[in-house]
Amino acid sequence: MPSILEKIRVLGENSKYDICASTASSRTDKYPKLFGNSKNWVGAAASAGICHSYTPDGRCMSLFKTLYTNKCIYNCKYCFSHTCKHKMSFTPEEYARTFMKLYSMNVVEGVFISSGVCGSADETTEEMLEAIRLLRFKYHFQGYVHFKCLPGVSQYLLREAITLSDRISVNSEASSKDFLSEIAEQKDFNNDIILRQRWLKQIRVKHNLEALKVIKDYKEDNQLKYQEMMIKDRREDGYKKFRWDGAPILNSGQTTQFVVGAAEGETDFDLLKQIDWGYRNIDLRRGYFSSFIPIEGTPLAGQQAASLSREHRLYQSDWLLRIYHFKLKDLKDILTDDGNLPKGDPKIYLAKQYFEGCGPLDPNNASYKDLIRVPGIGPISAKRIINLQSKKFEFKRREDLKAVGVVLKRAAPYLLINGKNQRTLENFTQPLQEENSWREIA
Amino acid sequence: MEGNCVNENDLKKQDPLVVVGCAKGYTKEELLSNLPRHCKFSPSLIKQVKLIPEAIFRNSGTPIAKKINRMMHEMSTEAYRAIQFTRTEINNRGVLFGVVMLKHRVVDRVLIYFHERWPQCIICLYNEQTRETWIIDEKGAIRQYHQPLKKVVENVSKNRQIVPYFEDIQFSGEQIFETLYKSQFIAERENKQYFKKMIPDQCFKLPGMKNGVERHFRNKKLNDFL
Repeated sequence: MPSILEKIRVLGENSKYDICASTASSRTDKYPKLFGNSKNWVGAAASAGICHSYTPDGRCMSLFKTLYTNKCIYNCKYCFSHTCKHKMSFTPEEYARTFMKLYSMNVVEGVFISSGVCGSADETTEEMLEAIRLLRFKYHFQGYVHFKCLPGVSQYLLREAITLSDRISVNSEASSKDFLSEIAEQKDFNNDIILRQRWLKQIRVKHNLEALKVIKDYKEDNQLKYQEMMIKDRREDGYKKFRWDGAPILNSGQTTQFVVGAAEGETDFDLLKQIDWGYRNIDLRRGYFSSFIPIEGTPLAGQQAASLSREHRLYQSDWLLRIYHFKLKDLKDILTDDGNLPKGDPKIYLAKQYFEGCGPLDPNNASYKDLIRVPGIGPISAKRIINLQSKKFEFKRREDLKAVGVVLKRAAPYLLINGKNQRTLENFTQPLQEENSWREIA
Repeated sequence: MEGNCVNENDLKKQDPLVVVGCAKGYTKEELLSNLPRHCKFSPSLIKQVKLIPEAIFRNSGTPIAKKINRMMHEMSTEAYRAIQFTRTEINNRGVLFGVVMLKHRVVDRVLIYFHERWPQCIICLYNEQTRETWIIDEKGAIRQYHQPLKKVVENVSKNRQIVPYFEDIQFSGEQIFETLYKSQFIAERENKQYFKKMIPDQCFKLPGMKNGVERHFRNKKLNDFL
């Protein structure tokens, strides 16, 4: 019988490639407490999240992140559990106790529970849920829980998982059915992944609407208003305008993760297309990209690792889609012939293309949509500029722009400041300098 | 914010951020209430702050503004770092205790953070810098003792009942965390520069540092303070 330490060593190592960057969850007091109004509750979920430790690769490590079990019926070609000879599982009691100990030491901020599929997805999920139930109702833990949905899990279990967690994720791993079958032939892309993602959205919306009905002092008008808001609060391209914050359940939304570079021939555009679909159709909160790293003993051991810079570029592009409201077709225009993103910041490529025709931009009469396309101007500084325009403030000096948060080093080549466009020799070189800071994996 | 009541004719002379009402930095009220927390605070500084317009502090252009903003930053960073890196223990009677090393008077902020997480517990924090123990009770009342941590923990634990779910977690967690921490390392992603950037200098200088950074953030045992 392996000890707790042995289980943490093996199951923690097996889960290290799973990404869960955030521990943020903003529940509001407006709604009833998720797990009753017990006086004994412990823990809290901060809206910004808190990092209690950093691994030597610089990543924040703030969640108790281990697999529940590494016994798995699937044979995914990239997966760690392929090579692991020591098969073991936590018991729900062990899992909950160990986490509470770590939480009391202030070394972790919440739980990230994932697992191999032992027996069937439902059996394993039942056990994982039992561990979370113990945390919530025996140890009165009210903090952050990220629950990993196993492929093929039943709807009734998903429903319970949603009510117990702040965030749920279903790993897509690949961008399409064909690519998934290449790396994990037993998984059914449409049934095991897409269907579950759709369920998550349906259950959450339905539950939140029902929850609002029972909230004290909540008028019927507001109920209708909420329904209207759900429909109206979408951008033209179908993305949700507002975040999930303050929702009665699953307020950190659902996420997904892709293994970048495991399936041969899968391009950056394939991944971005799939994530764009997720934002529009299943109200994905965000997507994670994990560069493929070959593991000895797996069928893909001989395959080349994906570069970290590729992962970085995908995150930059994802940010442009999600936060800057760029369209997927804009990104399509800057792709290289092989369908991948070019080396360097995608926003600089987009700006070069966009401003080639219309020339530099005068911040005194530019629209928000134009401003946001300038490298060095983000949504906040663009909104500040628009605010100042409405107050008839004129930008005549570089300092004025600096004061509203514009990064002039990047923005100057695309702006007219007091009628002049300032460029330096550096602006004519390719936007690749920063690329050097990202190491390529051999 | 000041920006709302500004005459339009004067707009051009003003700091754009103040005009919009989204300026960086702190309001004068925030400065006046928080500066006394700094270890190098002096009453003359408050007099100066009262005389100088808020926009000057927000722009950080003058030496005094730079100094004030730096002081504010030092305090808030110290409090946040303590929240991140203070390691605590809990006993079976619901008393959570740990050690901090705070130069500035921000211990109340750290106590409140723990109080929000453990509302039914008494939190005891020993400040190594001032050799004082601070506690916050279930009602949120903060008190200060000039006694070692162990004594304070014993005293406050005396009249409290044993809580079964705290009794359940009375085992050493140091090795568990060390094992978990090591298990998450991905050699291919090692980036020491970034790692150093994320760990504040003052944490590298904490007493008892040897081999590896994480070791130093762990809470000391009670015996160490006797």
